[in-house]
Amino acid sequence: MAEPQLTVEPEFQYSSLFAQAQTAVAGMWLFLAQECVFFGGMILTWVYARYWNEAGFDAGASHTVLWIGSVNVGILVTSSFVFACALLFVRAGQVRLTALALLGVIVLGSVFLLLKGYEWHLDFVAHNWVNDPDFPVKGPLEGGAKLFWTFYWVGTVLHAAHMVVGIGLVAYVLRRTLRRQFTPTYHVPIEVVGIFWGFVDIVWILLWPLIYLIGRLP
Amino acid sequence: MSTTTIDAREAEVSYLSEKFTLWSWLLSTDHKRIAILYLISITVFFFIGGIGAAVMRWNLIEPGGMVAPETYNRMFSMHGVMMVWFFLVPSIPATLGNFCIPLMIGARDLAFPKLNLMSWYIFVAAGLTEFYAMFAGGIDTGWTFYPTLSTGYTNGFVKVAAAGIFLSGFSSIATGVNFMVTIHRLRAPGMFWHRLPVFVWSHYAVSVIYVLATPMLTMTMVMLFFQRSFGVGMFDPRLGGDLVLYQHMFWFYSHPAVYIMILPGFGVISEIIPCFCHRRLFGYEFVVWCSMAIAVIGFFAWGHHMFVSGESIYSALVFSLMSYVVAVPSAIKVFNWVGTMHKAYIRFDAPMLYALGFIVLFTIGGLTGLWLANLPADVHLHDTYFVVAHFHYVMVGGMVTALFGGLHFWWPKMTGRMYPEMWGRAAALIIFIGFNMTFAPQFLLGWAGMPRRYATYPPEFQVLNVMSSAGASILAIGYLLPLLYLPWSLFRGARAPANPWDATGLEWQTPSPPPSVNFLATPIVTTGPYEYKEPEVLEQQRQDG
Amino acid sequence: MIRALARLGLFWVVLMAVAGAEFVVSGRHIPAGSRPLLLVFALAMVAVVAFGFMNLGRAPIIAKAFAVAAVFWLIVLFGMGSMDALTRNWYPVQHYSPD
Repeated sequence: MAEPQLTVEPEFQYSSLFAQAQTAVAGMWLFLAQECVFFGGMILTWVYARYWNEAGFDAGASHTVLWIGSVNVGILVTSSFVFACALLFVRAGQVRLTALALLGVIVLGSVFLLLKGYEWHLDFVAHNWVNDPDFPVKGPLEGGAKLFWTFYWVGTVLHAAHMVVGIGLVAYVLRRTLRRQFTPTYHVPIEVVGIFWGFVDIVWILLWPLIYLIGRLP
Repeated sequence: MSTTTIDAREAEVSYLSEKFTLWSWLLSTDHKRIAILYLISITVFFFIGGIGAAVMRWNLIEPGGMVAPETYNRMFSMHGVMMVWFFLVPSIPATLGNFCIPLMIGARDLAFPKLNLMSWYIFVAAGLTEFYAMFAGGIDTGWTFYPTLSTGYTNGFVKVAAAGIFLSGFSSIATGVNFMVTIHRLRAPGMFWHRLPVFVWSHYAVSVIYVLATPMLTMTMVMLFFQRSFGVGMFDPRLGGDLVLYQHMFWFYSHPAVYIMILPGFGVISEIIPCFCHRRLFGYEFVVWCSMAIAVIGFFAWGHHMFVSGESIYSALVFSLMSYVVAVPSAIKVFNWVGTMHKAYIRFDAPMLYALGFIVLFTIGGLTGLWLANLPADVHLHDTYFVVAHFHYVMVGGMVTALFGGLHFWWPKMTGRMYPEMWGRAAALIIFIGFNMTFAPQFLLGWAGMPRRYATYPPEFQVLNVMSSAGASILAIGYLLPLLYLPWSLFRGARAPANPWDATGLEWQTPSPPPSVNFLATPIVTTGPYEYKEPEVLEQQRQDG
Repeated sequence: MIRALARLGLFWVVLMAVAGAEFVVSGRHIPAGSRPLLLVFALAMVAVVAFGFMNLGRAPIIAKAFAVAAVFWLIVLFGMGSMDALTRNWYPVQHYSPD
């Protein structure tokens, strides 16, 4: 069966499809610069909190569920790899493989979130909520530990929110892929979503040592 | 600029007359319509913030106050929040920037028109949230929300207010991304970077700040919301948290934000002065580099808001030095504008009156900022009316004056009508007089030690306070006048030609008001900006003498 | 395409290796003040993801400029932001233990 001819027109304010594509990519990188300052601000609070309360901060950090955090790094890095493969596939005109790869990203992202949810459950069971009267760290280290867990909850919830948005965006480009709306020359939404996905991965790569590794041994 | 022959008959259908339904406005992705939507919204918020100012100045007529102290606290907080985030931060960029940038660069719209519309909806949602917070009970923390008052000890609607500000940030970021990408990628053929009007450069600089400073505000509000909700957070000293960290995070955004609240004004003035002096802008490259320098160096000075808050003396020294450094590019620009005017034939239409007022008032505001940047002086002046007078001189005397000047300058282009010139000039003069009468006494009050954010004051300060309040009522009249004659001009104003001011710039080469696609043919740019030819009289004088 | 896929696979292997090394090193007893140096591993991973998977190397020049700007601004944020904490005179207070 012959593939139907797909002609994509640039939007009226662009002179060509190429110009539109380059503009979209540039716009996404600029948006990511903004996201860097957003998460950077949060990490600045980590710097201050740990600098003033090293012992307590690390005492709190040693109660994190190390295996889930670490497995999740592997999952996200793999998902970025799979997404990059999807981009290769669409450039080669392999629609089915592209869709499979994008689906793989969604699956991996969902596994990440499921593990995260389980981890949060474990954290609640261990009374690691900042307001919990049975907070495990007591005494002079309690303050620093609670500062750590403030960072933990804010950081992981914000990251998870970005993951949810990311998965939604991947689902959107998967839908368009299945509707055969991309060609080897026009597939810029996949590129742009891929850049965002890579950034969500980067944030977790940075949060992993900040949350799980640096304070691992109090 | 190349002259496009403007066919008046082809201009019958403008962006205004294309469709008249409400939905065609509310769902429009046309940057010109979105600019008008923003203009209406910020005007509403300006008047809400103005109510706060009115109650404040009313209260300060008597040393013992005229309203309850708790009410006064809510009024200054509401005034600050509304004026900063819902009026000044969007003001010129979202209205004049949205309208003029594509026209000035020869584009048919911004790079992301749907994002533009979304930014307006987010802005309105944020504004309504904030409006609810302010009028359901208000906040008494000031617009700065310092913990631990804001996180634990106040009864106000801090969380709702923080949520509204959090939301408004997305609108700013979207606008910034849109402008930067548009200016990079949608310039017409021949519109090289060194041919861009300073207005466009200023908005590029502002967009850098929008994109890179606002996320810090977003994170600060998140942390504040968390601590207020759960009683535990990064700013809690009982846990070992650092109150000054909040101030670092807040001012990392809010100091660059004050450059958001002046750079577009610089851009407007840089368009008006060459036009009404009919002279090329003096030192175009300097003005451009200085705009970018202010945007960048402005990020290095935030600690000057915390000199007496407990930050280390060594970092205070660095921030003080940076605050002096950032004043230099602003001063250079003032010299460039004055240089443009030197021995020129000046037309004193309303936009030029506003521009002249801007130069005077901004210079006073800027210079008094240097006093505050000085460490020992700031120990005396911090949290006094000197600070209040300083920032009102730059933000109101500067930015708001520039906004009004720009509104009058581009009004014919935006609406196809001329405003009544006599009323325009009268309003400009009334604003200038009223403004100085309101805020000049406040410098003296601050120097004498009157603290800000206090509902009552010692009796010896009453004379100056009454003078300030009287000035405020004159200023209010000055601001009300355009609200009356500008809408009037929509129905009864003279029809405007494409280029009523005989200005250069691509936006003047298209009909007033422009068609929806901006240009009927893609313009080709062959010359730089501000290619004004001086009147022959002056040319002759210069050759003779 | 196989070569391109292999190239991506190599990046994946490198990332996993660096993550593994980071994990192992974090298990060793390093003084608490120096432990943040573990972030060097994380920054290496960030670079691989940015250039290997996000194709920063092939992005338009302004995209690269925006990425550089992000890094520069983070340096300013952390540098000038930490300046205060690092140079303050610290007067310890009694830690508050809520009962």
